[in-house]
Amino acid sequence: MRLEKCYFCSSTVYPGHGTMFVRNDGKSFRFCRSKCHKNFKMKRNPRKVRWTKAFRKAAGKEMAIDSTFEFEKRRNVPVRYDRDLMSTTIKAMKRVQEIRARRERAFFKQRMAGNKERERVENVREIQKNIHLVSTPVAKAKEMQKVAEASKHMEVD
Amino acid sequence: MARIRRKRMHCNNKELHHKYKTKRRTKDLDQIQDDLKPENKARLLSQDADEDLPGLGQFYCVECAKYFVDDRTRLEHRRSREHKRRLRDLKEPAYTQKEAEAAAGLSTDNGHTSSLSAPGPMSLLSLKQKTDQGLANKTASKRPAMDVE
Repeated sequence: MRLEKCYFCSSTVYPGHGTMFVRNDGKSFRFCRSKCHKNFKMKRNPRKVRWTKAFRKAAGKEMAIDSTFEFEKRRNVPVRYDRDLMSTTIKAMKRVQEIRARRERAFFKQRMAGNKERERVENVREIQKNIHLVSTPVAKAKEMQKVAEASKHMEVD
Repeated sequence: MARIRRKRMHCNNKELHHKYKTKRRTKDLDQIQDDLKPENKARLLSQDADEDLPGLGQFYCVECAKYFVDDRTRLEHRRSREHKRRLRDLKEPAYTQKEAEAAAGLSTDNGHTSSLSAPGPMSLLSLKQKTDQGLANKTASKRPAMDVE
């Protein structure tokens, strides 16, 4: 069983899923779903489409360089089945996954660090800029009263 | 990033659907980059006369993979925004399946012919050997290759 990667979004294409397009020069492209196929047909560049892995990695949205990426490799060398090797591999896969998840969490935290402070500063600046739009609650209540009185007069008339 | 039109694009645009059929697929950027190699370029610019093509196939723009009726229209095209945008797109290397796989964290390691006898530091065989040694020595750390923060 061979798991391919989608040409457009880099997700895994499981057997029986997705589409393959063979260009007239014999080069084949695999797509995980019709969304990716359609975008390919529109000649969009995956590097510039924001929801693809290629974009997210290139734009620094996701962890791109890490030692945990060194493990998953397509090795085109047949290895003789060995039960011990198999069990260590499966153990290693789980462990690597765990470590990668932890590092990704740390990366995300670091990427988002300082957002709150930035947002606060931005808000304060906006209020300072448009202070004339902000009215005190007392002033607002007075205004409302005035409006109500005016409408009463109208009814009386 | 080229601006993409967002309105009136979805279902009622026959022209666009016609354009996006794979039957009428035009050349991709990687094919054009291949065409731009000097030997291919010379071949494309001096084609035999073909009466099915515009201008008998004598006026070809390699970058845009387009035939023109005469030299004047081709020159006009070369000054156009479309052509300049294409030149800009061709400057960076074309996107490949390899890049897609790299983005997913998958790479290819065909290794060397002696890879089985002397596996690299990160290969699973070497990992196994290390664990074997670890078991023999009864050391606490099972996987010395991974540095856990």
